[in-house]
Amino acid sequence: MKGITSPQAAGWLLALIVAVLLPLFTGGYLTSILLLIAAWSIVAVSLNLLYGYTGQLSLGHSAFLGIGAYALALIAVKVHVGFWPAFFAAIAISGLFGFLIGIPALKLRGPYFVLVTLGFAAIVGVIALAWTGLTGGANGLAGAPRPTPIPLPWGGRLKFDSLLNMYYFTLFFLIVILFICHRLVHSLIGRTFIAISHDENLAESLGINTMWKKLLSFTISAVFAGVAGALYASYNSVISPDIAYFTRGMDVLACLIVGGAGTMAGPIIGTFVMTAIPEALQIVPSLRTLINGFILMLFIIFLPAGIAGGFKAFSSRWGLKSEERRHGAP
Amino acid sequence: MVELAQYLLNGISQGCVYVLLASGLTIIMGILRVPNFAQGHLYMVAAYLGFYMVMSYATNYWLALVLATFALGILGLLVYFLVFYPVRNAPEVNLFVAAMALLMILEGGALSLFGTESKWFLIPWSRSVLSTGSLSLQTQRVIVIAGTTVVMLGLWFFIKKTALGAALEATAQHREGALLCGIKVDRISATAFVVGTALAGIAGVLIGPAVLLEPTMGMGPLLVAFSAIIFGGLGSIAGAVLGSLLLGVAESLASGYISATYSLAFVFAIMIVMLLFRPKGLFGKEVWRP
Amino acid sequence: MALLEVSGLTKAFGGLTAVDRLSFSVDQGQVVSMIGPNGAGKSTVFNLLTGAYRPSAGRIVYDGNDITGCKPHRSARLGMGRTFQSTTVFRTETVVENVIIGQSLHLKTGVWGAIARTNKARREEEKVREKARSILDFVGLTNVATRLAGSLTEEAQKRLSIATVLAADPKLLLLDEPTGGVNLEEIGGLIELIKKIRQSGVTVCLIEHKMRMVMSMSDRIVVLNYGTNIAEGTPAEVANNKQVIEAYLGARRVA
Repeated sequence: MKGITSPQAAGWLLALIVAVLLPLFTGGYLTSILLLIAAWSIVAVSLNLLYGYTGQLSLGHSAFLGIGAYALALIAVKVHVGFWPAFFAAIAISGLFGFLIGIPALKLRGPYFVLVTLGFAAIVGVIALAWTGLTGGANGLAGAPRPTPIPLPWGGRLKFDSLLNMYYFTLFFLIVILFICHRLVHSLIGRTFIAISHDENLAESLGINTMWKKLLSFTISAVFAGVAGALYASYNSVISPDIAYFTRGMDVLACLIVGGAGTMAGPIIGTFVMTAIPEALQIVPSLRTLINGFILMLFIIFLPAGIAGGFKAFSSRWGLKSEERRHGAP
Repeated sequence: MVELAQYLLNGISQGCVYVLLASGLTIIMGILRVPNFAQGHLYMVAAYLGFYMVMSYATNYWLALVLATFALGILGLLVYFLVFYPVRNAPEVNLFVAAMALLMILEGGALSLFGTESKWFLIPWSRSVLSTGSLSLQTQRVIVIAGTTVVMLGLWFFIKKTALGAALEATAQHREGALLCGIKVDRISATAFVVGTALAGIAGVLIGPAVLLEPTMGMGPLLVAFSAIIFGGLGSIAGAVLGSLLLGVAESLASGYISATYSLAFVFAIMIVMLLFRPKGLFGKEVWRP
Repeated sequence: MALLEVSGLTKAFGGLTAVDRLSFSVDQGQVVSMIGPNGAGKSTVFNLLTGAYRPSAGRIVYDGNDITGCKPHRSARLGMGRTFQSTTVFRTETVVENVIIGQSLHLKTGVWGAIARTNKARREEEKVREKARSILDFVGLTNVATRLAGSLTEEAQKRLSIATVLAADPKLLLLDEPTGGVNLEEIGGLIELIKKIRQSGVTVCLIEHKMRMVMSMSDRIVVLNYGTNIAEGTPAEVANNKQVIEAYLGARRVA
């Protein structure tokens, strides 16, 4: 395990400092972009756990985004509870769907698994658009609440009306989720996930209950994606069915692969690159999917390990060189 | 009773679209081992291509059909050499991602070029309807059924009676064996991909005049086509045909008796159930082995 | 006491019967070798024992449990370990990580423990590392512990795959051609290792082609041909068995 003084830790610390301080010096527009990046990073991190570390390619995460968002709005509005109960209920529901879909889906391997997740995403997308009674159809749902103000120990309350505070709220969850993933992935349980991603048959022959482990990864991933969905709903207050459109899941996957699946920094780097650069170049939203597709295509052919993965391979090649020269003697 | 027969007829014509898409899919999947997620979008591109040829350049419909199919074949060749050939030895997930990236490019491209408005692909006989007794069907849909039959017969002939077709079948059944027999597997893979995209091309121009053209029109048929090949069994064209027709009829029945909006969701649900209980499908030879 | 008892084991793939009413047993502490021409069904038998394939008929009783048709992770948990003919290691993981993964089935720490890094979790991780180090010492791979598994020689990879399986504490170790693809000079080392394993109390069942090795190491030999056992007995008995000689060893000297 890397020490606290390693270059990686320094990099993370620097990123954290920038993430916290930057919005204080820039205008609302930049902060809203940062919020978007933070929220989509959460989805990318969740998909990274399932795909990058457990090897299961799911095209269904747009469904959990949608479920998290709509659940928050519906529970808060129809059941008249405050933000927090609705929030935890929403992510629990997202996790529950993950669990229920995972049980049948994870029995399948290869393209069949991918297809079932795609089908699931498509169905949820159709329901979001068509079941007008529940989801408001094409008009969407209004009324998702901001987090209820939190009383502070020194008096006064932390309110979430402002963009800045919503940004920090989202950033907080990103950090928590990253931390959980980091701990999981480096633990003994995490090693079983990684073993499954390398060679599922070998893992099973070593006594690992691959079905349960995959299901665990899938469910946790669904919970985290649900968090992103609920945060999105809370921030926007009005949700429209395009949050659950299946290409969202593909956009996130593109961010993950470009950034580097199977690395901790990958999802964040990828989301940043694929969100910030189009914004900076003022690229029209309708062109985004096209460009994301091209970038993804280039990466999957020439640099499938992504930015972070490629960097790791490059830097370790320098370290391994001396070892390789020693190899060869019996 | 008449209603049922009408739904069945509608279902068969709907199923024909799936037949063309599913055969292409199963050929590509059987030989390149990649589920071509972009197949539905290729079909959409063909439909738009036909639309522009006929509506903006006053091309004869049948000529447009041939040209568009040809164009899709060329596109398939390009995509094969630029995308699937370079990644052919990569882990299979990379191929899935490449197919997904292709879908994104086509979807984004269509949105930018064609916009989100639906378009009507009009041809001289757009309004005519053929009927016998109390059953009726749009003329174009009859053409779809006839066209699909002709194409599938041609495909059968190609695979069973030509050397290239035999090589295709051999490679699908046993890649290493085909290699050992001297079959140039890369060339076969390219052929398979081109055949697959050409079939999507034919489907697009055939069905275009019968439906509303939208950039998203490919997704539903794609998922139904996948359901059909899972239903019929991977690697079996006969299974793909049977599965497509059955699902087309199922969709039509669901649309008529339950609800039009959820008919697709109903079909996907069938696919999921099928995958869980009989992943081999009706005629499939093996469950996916990487 | 028979640790493993196989009766009437049959596996048919469509029209082809790969294993045909095979019966044999393995006693605790023995080394039993399975030999036979290529295609005789030996690896298939291993797959049936571990549960990678479901038998078409027959029974497998291991350590008193009827494990016919149960899944591979279950047979592993009951103490049956197995290596593969085509060396399988986690190529992009280090040697020591491979052996750590091998201990996964004994994991006690749950998700919460992993996330919170409780003392229990930390202790378990330390224990696992310690055990990994001692197993690497046992098989002789300590000096390559931090190398990537894929960068090792074929012989070292075989050792690693054995080490990884040993990490799971099996009672019965199924080795599928452990010296396949290994240089003649290096075979001796692997033989020593297998003897060491047997001395530590693990029962070993071996598929092998190298006759000298099989004859010198085995307590009993089971000879397979066309999916069924045509002979069974001590090395001396088998070497003199006419059917075996005809089917497999050839008319001339033992290789």
